[in-house]
Amino acid sequence: MWKWIQKLASPKVFYETINRLIPWFLWLFIGLILLGLYWGLAVAPVDYQQGESYRIMYIHVPSAWLSMLVYFIMAVAGGIGLIWQIKMAQVIAKVSAPIGASFTLIALATGAIWGKPMWGTWWVWDARLTSELILLFLYLAYISLNNAFDNPKTAAKASSILAIVGLVNLPIIHYSVKWWNTLHQGSILEDISKPSVHPDMLWPLLIMVFAFQFLYALLLLLNAKDEVLVREQNSRWVRELVTGEQA
Amino acid sequence: MTLAETLTYLPYGKYAFYIWLSYGVTFLVIAELFVRTSRNHKKVLVVLTNKYAREDD
Repeated sequence: MWKWIQKLASPKVFYETINRLIPWFLWLFIGLILLGLYWGLAVAPVDYQQGESYRIMYIHVPSAWLSMLVYFIMAVAGGIGLIWQIKMAQVIAKVSAPIGASFTLIALATGAIWGKPMWGTWWVWDARLTSELILLFLYLAYISLNNAFDNPKTAAKASSILAIVGLVNLPIIHYSVKWWNTLHQGSILEDISKPSVHPDMLWPLLIMVFAFQFLYALLLLLNAKDEVLVREQNSRWVRELVTGEQA
Repeated sequence: MTLAETLTYLPYGKYAFYIWLSYGVTFLVIAELFVRTSRNHKKVLVVLTNKYAREDD
């Protein structure tokens, strides 16, 4: 296991591994998203309280979930890059940020669109909504800090520290619906053994969560490939790859 | 009549506007990610190809 991880820290092995993984993630994503959308939009029954509007949850919950997971991965990868100077961890942290910011944006936008007919307003300064908005600002701060330095090493160092400090926001988002009296409803996936929703509503949600995870993985790898090429542009294998075959 | 009321003939009736809008926004944001990824990929290849061509001269 350790040997394998050490090998993966080599840019060339990392690049080749990514290349092999991309088609798998692509097809898993396409398969799961089609199944999840069909089940969630066509098969799942209408909610007795929220009517059809609850179907927004099939994109809202996976993206909100991912907005936190991606931030966690970004901070951990940044920390690994900081401590052990593993360049490939820095790559993962850097390319994760715009993807995570987009998922945060989707979570906020779909939440607002759902909030209008259900709560009667697009936005409230509620604990859950505000902490998720702060998460978006953390992503944006991370991205601009990363772009503010010419030297990728300094950029990675500064932005990783920001990401790690910002980690404190994740438990706040997660527990906000419990700690404060908020308008946002509690989690329906709190205890997977006794879910609070009908299986025909829960299954598509779980499938969509997995579909979005593969989407993140796919985008991460596609962006990481190019980032590796730029960072390793002075190595022979990148030169041979770019000049030999235009892939 | 508001837009939300006009679109009730679509699937999901009175929530049609909200559901299609949120799925539409999600699609656009994700599509933008793929477009940006592909643009960046092309840019990287051009920049590196030029760099190596310059070095070979």
